[in-house]
Amino acid sequence: MKRRKFLKSLLALLGSTTLVSFAYPLVRFIAPPSRKAEVKRLSLQKNEIPAGEAREIVLNNTPAIIINRPGKGYIALSRVCTHLGCLVGYNKAKGNLICPCHAGIFNLDGKVLSGPPPKPLTEYPLRVEGETIIIG
Amino acid sequence: MWQRIKQGLETRIGLEDLINTKLKSYSVPRNTNIFYTLGGVALVAFIIQAISGFFLLIYYVPHSDHAFRSVQYIMTTAPFGWLFRLMHVVGSNLMVAVIFLHLLSVFFMGSYKKPRELTWIAGWLMLLVTLTFCLSGYLLPWSQLSYWTTTVVTAMPTAFPYVGDYIANLLRGGEFVSGITLNRFFALHVAFLPPILVGLMVIHVFLIRRIGLSSPPFDASSEETKPWTEYRHVSYPNGNSFYPYFVLKELYMVALYLVVMFFVITFMPTLFLPEASNIPANPLMTPAYIKPQWYFLAPYQMLKLIPNKFLGISMQIALIGTFLLWPFFDTKTERNILKRPLLLATFTASLVLWVVLTMWGRSS
Repeated sequence: MKRRKFLKSLLALLGSTTLVSFAYPLVRFIAPPSRKAEVKRLSLQKNEIPAGEAREIVLNNTPAIIINRPGKGYIALSRVCTHLGCLVGYNKAKGNLICPCHAGIFNLDGKVLSGPPPKPLTEYPLRVEGETIIIG
Repeated sequence: MWQRIKQGLETRIGLEDLINTKLKSYSVPRNTNIFYTLGGVALVAFIIQAISGFFLLIYYVPHSDHAFRSVQYIMTTAPFGWLFRLMHVVGSNLMVAVIFLHLLSVFFMGSYKKPRELTWIAGWLMLLVTLTFCLSGYLLPWSQLSYWTTTVVTAMPTAFPYVGDYIANLLRGGEFVSGITLNRFFALHVAFLPPILVGLMVIHVFLIRRIGLSSPPFDASSEETKPWTEYRHVSYPNGNSFYPYFVLKELYMVALYLVVMFFVITFMPTLFLPEASNIPANPLMTPAYIKPQWYFLAPYQMLKLIPNKFLGISMQIALIGTFLLWPFFDTKTERNILKRPLLLATFTASLVLWVVLTMWGRSS
């Protein structure tokens, strides 16, 4: 009986070792390939975006937008809606940003006005040096 | 010739005995209605999907640079490519519809009750796998519709703190939907999901045969009087043979399914292909009108109405969980829903709510 118990434990040990040594590579295999965060800067001329206008850009692989808010100056926001990842569009007439997927609406500071998004849009650092706007 | 083949098979595998015991002497209740055939129709629908899918694989290229063009090639250049693609597209929608009807009739007739809880669960898992099939297949043409629907769906796990982002990235193979996602979904669609679905089908059909078909609960004779405390096989000595009586009934419904399918392909080929499915995917532009397929419109509208991401998505998961485990919640032995006004009212109300949300989602 002792011998049988020993063999049973040995089988359990071998089995679980095999399972783990298969499961670990599997998890690593399907995990997303790692991508180094790129920190890039982008610069634009002020006259490219008149007051009330906006310009879509791509910053660190993320679609973003620079808006020249009337009376409040420039702001750089991510266009990725914080709800489920669709891209917001600038609505000049209403002065807001609308996500077409589940009707999330943001104001021009990126704050949620209505709809299901849980968080404001990500804001990117932006500064103006002379005639140049530097984002990132 | 035919006789000799039959005789040869008879000698080797006892064909006649197999047909007699498994098909002819297997009898089903005399009062089965057409709703009993829907499971069989769903099986045929799946076979059509598999076959048309195999043919599409001959021309489809699973790469983000070529996928859209290869689908266009199938539709416009490959001889009868449009037919196989439309059979696959229309068929997927009709298959979901048939499964929905099957589920509703099983619910209405109380067939999910003890001892058939496991059959219900296997069936529900099959519905979830089918919907995963639909979602993964949706990305493959790499159109605007594909891209943005997948963006929304793969972002759903992000509603959950800590693990949400990791799961979303695992599904997409990165932060955004990309060529990597296309390959993952392609592998899911053609390699991982089929054996899972077939496995569940085997379990589902095995359970039905092992336990025995339930009978419609609407007349007194069908009531099971004995409480179910140990295994027994439900049989109907005075019922109809499965073959040929029930098989013929199923064949009529399969024919009806094919009529609907080819009617849609012939007269409304773009029914399930809205405009955004003809525009190649553009990761920098979400189209103004992006909506899921009809069977996801109700959850879509729910997500829009509930002003909280976590709540909206958790509620959907809770709903799925409730339906999945429903037989364990509903333990009353009365199978006739007409004698249970509360359940009937809830059932009707849920159905009406689903229809209202679907219509609302479609028009908003």
